[in-house]
Amino acid sequence: MVGRQDDVSRPPEVTVRASRPLALAAAGALALTACGGGGESVDTGGGGGGGGGGNTLVAAVSAQPDQLDPHKTSAYPSFQVLENVYDTLVVPNAEDLTMEPSLAEDWETSEDGLTWTFTLRDGVTFHDGSEFDSADVVYSYNRIIDEELQNAYRFANVASVEAPDPRTVVITLSQPTPNLLERIGAFKGMAILPEGAADQVDLTTEAVGTGPFTLESSDATSTVLAPYEDHWGGAPNVEGVEFRYITEPAAALTALQNGEVQWTDNIPPQQIESLEGDDAVELATTPSVDYWYMSMNYARPPFDNRDVRRAISFAVDRAAVAEAAWFGAAQPNQTAIPEDSFFYNDYAPFEHDPDQATQLLEQAGVSTPLTMGLMVTDEFPETVTAAQVIAGQLEEVGITVNIETLDFATWLDRQGQGDYDAFLLGWLGNLDPAAYYQEQHVTGGANNYQKYSNPEVDRLLQQGAAETDEDARKEIYDQAAQLIVDDVSYLYLYNPDVVQAWVPGLSGYQIRADKAINFEDVELP
Amino acid sequence: MTGQPLPEPAPSPTATDAGIPSTQRAARPRWRETLGLLARNPAAAVSGALLLLIVLVAVFDEALAPTGPNEISVEDRLQPPSLEHPFGTDDLGRDIFSRVILGAAVSLRVGFLAVAVALVIGSLIGLLAGFYGRWVDDVLMRIMDMLFAFPAVLLAIAVLAVRGPGSGNTALAIGIVYIPVFARVTRASVLGVREEVYVRASRSVGASDLRLLTRHVLPNAAPPIIVQTSISLAFAVLAEAALSFLGLGTQPPNPSWGLMLAEGRGFIDIAWWLAFFPGMAIFLTVLCFNLLGDGLRDVLDPRQRTLMAGGAR
Amino acid sequence: MLRRTGQSVVVLAGVSVIVFALVHLVPGDPIRLALGTRFSQETYDALRERSGLDQPLVEQFFSWAGAALTGDLGVSFRSGETVTSLIAERLPATLTLAFASILVALLIAVPLGTLSALRPRSLVDRGATVLSQIGISVPEFWMAIVLILVFAGTLGWLPSGGYVPLTEDPLGWAQRLLMPALVTGVVSGSVITRFVRSSVLEALGADHVRTAQAKGLPTRQVFTWHVLRNALLPLVTVTGVQLAYLLSGVVVVEIVFAWPGLGQLALQAVQARDYPVLQGAILLFAVVFLVINLVVDLLYTAIDPRIRR
Repeated sequence: MVGRQDDVSRPPEVTVRASRPLALAAAGALALTACGGGGESVDTGGGGGGGGGGNTLVAAVSAQPDQLDPHKTSAYPSFQVLENVYDTLVVPNAEDLTMEPSLAEDWETSEDGLTWTFTLRDGVTFHDGSEFDSADVVYSYNRIIDEELQNAYRFANVASVEAPDPRTVVITLSQPTPNLLERIGAFKGMAILPEGAADQVDLTTEAVGTGPFTLESSDATSTVLAPYEDHWGGAPNVEGVEFRYITEPAAALTALQNGEVQWTDNIPPQQIESLEGDDAVELATTPSVDYWYMSMNYARPPFDNRDVRRAISFAVDRAAVAEAAWFGAAQPNQTAIPEDSFFYNDYAPFEHDPDQATQLLEQAGVSTPLTMGLMVTDEFPETVTAAQVIAGQLEEVGITVNIETLDFATWLDRQGQGDYDAFLLGWLGNLDPAAYYQEQHVTGGANNYQKYSNPEVDRLLQQGAAETDEDARKEIYDQAAQLIVDDVSYLYLYNPDVVQAWVPGLSGYQIRADKAINFEDVELP
Repeated sequence: MTGQPLPEPAPSPTATDAGIPSTQRAARPRWRETLGLLARNPAAAVSGALLLLIVLVAVFDEALAPTGPNEISVEDRLQPPSLEHPFGTDDLGRDIFSRVILGAAVSLRVGFLAVAVALVIGSLIGLLAGFYGRWVDDVLMRIMDMLFAFPAVLLAIAVLAVRGPGSGNTALAIGIVYIPVFARVTRASVLGVREEVYVRASRSVGASDLRLLTRHVLPNAAPPIIVQTSISLAFAVLAEAALSFLGLGTQPPNPSWGLMLAEGRGFIDIAWWLAFFPGMAIFLTVLCFNLLGDGLRDVLDPRQRTLMAGGAR
Repeated sequence: MLRRTGQSVVVLAGVSVIVFALVHLVPGDPIRLALGTRFSQETYDALRERSGLDQPLVEQFFSWAGAALTGDLGVSFRSGETVTSLIAERLPATLTLAFASILVALLIAVPLGTLSALRPRSLVDRGATVLSQIGISVPEFWMAIVLILVFAGTLGWLPSGGYVPLTEDPLGWAQRLLMPALVTGVVSGSVITRFVRSSVLEALGADHVRTAQAKGLPTRQVFTWHVLRNALLPLVTVTGVQLAYLLSGVVVVEIVFAWPGLGQLALQAVQARDYPVLQGAILLFAVVFLVINLVVDLLYTAIDPRIRR
């Protein structure tokens, strides 16, 4: 735990909330006149716990990390922490998410695209003081590959990882893989551990990385990081970071407003508008690289019928769905890849058109009312909201939607068994077009639960995965996307924004489209 | 979530002797007298009347609601109460007044179904255990103990996970949690009447067990069960709300009060009416069931054998 | 007593079987959940084998139950930590909240219940009844959120939630405990109030109290000695049971106040289908429940010498 905050060093932050009276009236609660007041602010206490002093950043996150082994976890709350503790060979640039040097300073690709040679950074040390070299990279990658860990699929094309000398790593591929950098650097799941780390420390609760912060403690209340003074990129400015878990959004927001925490991403979209006018809070939004979609089961007639799927695609008003679920903080999109991406494709053939939908349904010979089950999960509340709006829209064209809200475990089971008519879900943190389209739409793809199969799409996706020329590659994915959209393999809905907020005056932090939370350069007011 | 059912204090010899003389126990619940006594308790009387009104609203919901429950209009979202929308509109632009009216039926149905499950199964178990005693009692009540020892929320969640969500299964889950409560109340009550003179007399003239149970034991053991029913209804409505908070209760877009309240909590500081009106509906209904139960207890069960239902956790 | 203990053991054995069966009956695959959405079949198979889930169910049960007897509750699928350490980590928060809630509850219930029993059917009595019923008629999560918005938001008097150990920051500990203890305490307090009222009423009417009054003992003495002593019995029972419930985690309140108790752990375990944690937590709750019931029985005999069983 971080230390108890020194009250003297920092003036108490008092926030008198002008926007609150309504809530009070609703609650039938106390008199409004009692608002705020000078010295009445909460002892913000830095979480209460040990040292740290007044220069510790407290971040409210919505959930506890499941475990801290970067190679084993798949949970976003874990990566929020690990982002600051571990490094990868390359890392997405904060601005446009293109890959830039991190632990690797430089790299070269052979003529045939099958051999990648990385030159490692000098003078990097792990948190235990040991020096970083190529053996650590070989160890880390082979750990993922040999033990079939979470991200082993990212090495599917990798034939070998070798270390000819301490500063050089050579990755040999079985086929050209233009997105190799994305595969090894997209997130901290591909972190570099010191050689033999798994045998020496319990990586589920301890961390030995090269990142700007060391893991100090992690318990059921918070995870605390301390600055790593010998970090290769320079020591962080703050004296520590505490990730405090606050599940209930109202509580997280209150904690930010009264100064208990200085940063949060637990902000429901409906709060965006009121927070924009709030001087006590700095609100930031940026388009994410996530997309949300509806998928229909080809094994369940009549959803195997292209016309039926197209009818539904015409009947759904994406703008209304995005507005309902995200209060304006989402962009409707029919092709998944967001506008800011190099691979964005401005293709939107489905204008909201109930008449055409009705006509297509007739053409398909489907008798209405047609009943469709729509599976959503409370794990992602926006799917529950979106489903209700979609249900209303489909009702207009004679399709009765039965919304089934399941817990995520059951949801995944039923998805795996193909036991559904349709479902809503999203794909998060996509950087490369292959991540957007490959496994979701290729025949027999690992995530092609809907059982879509179009030989032309298969051909294009294979071609795109191996094409090393960027422009040619975009051209290929543009073609594939149009087919996928026209066939309604997925019914793409929207790209939401990343929404985060912090105290005014906080600097050196950048909100990122991939939702990586990096506090390396952050400075408190 | 779920309540705080209390196990009866272990029956002690002194407790059975010290109470009210058995002659005071009516052979049949005297309805008119009961109602008369109840009317003298203003809180219970008002609660009863209000509940009647709520039930009427639930029965005639579609006639009373100005709009359907799911008329979505994103443009009209989050409008404060007005003449057109007396309770305002929610985040999807639906009329909250209509949803509160239509939600009455959903919430009450969950409540009644849940209590029906617990009442029928629990009372039957309690009746058999209390009447036959010995190993029947031992086996049945140990099974009830096992259910009781299971944390209520987790039991309900597990049942919902196995059976899938939906208001029917929500009712079932809550009902199962409350089975042991009814079993214990019934058993304790049956133990009290089993050895009464009229039961012994019927038995000695060779009445069958079935006749004994239905004609003599059950009617005389009923009062605490009736009280328990009223209190449990309060519990069930709250439990549905708590399960909805956890995302497991009624399925959207169905307008149950619990679901509306759970969804509305995210808007509490920007659009208070989303959570306020369904919250008030729950509060009033639960309060009425509790006060009615309390009044019934004073009249029917002065010795307070009933296990009290607590709030929702 | 021996018989009661024996019964508890039987119940516990039953609970462990039910827990295991129920947990494995629930649809949902912990491995699939742990891996998220992008993974290969080989990864899936490897993790399944490491978790022991490829073994036959009966075998899994006996190895789990056998280890549990020695105090080994297994290792969490989700975090890789031992179940006992996960539980131990959250025990202080749960104990703190449970006892604080009971304290709040008794502070509400004893005066309120006694007062209304002394003047049955009076305005005070009716008022106390309605008041205590209001306490159990508000959904807990709603009460909790309103408290946060008022006391942490508008007034800024208290932190919005969280937990700090007493030893690290006594003031922060107390500040963070106040609201959750109030919410859970009010609910338990309402339940206990009704019991205090009825048991005081009954005690007031008991023969020896009448005798004492007839002997001319001063009312105060009669009340404190004879009445309260007898009223204590049901109070002990009801308090014990409330405690058992509070110790098994108050999920909803824990979530809203970010209170790191056992209820949250169990809920997370359900959601992640983390069988070992879920089984361990429920088993612990059952043990707590049974032990408290036994202790209540013991206290009964200690307080009331008439009961000898």
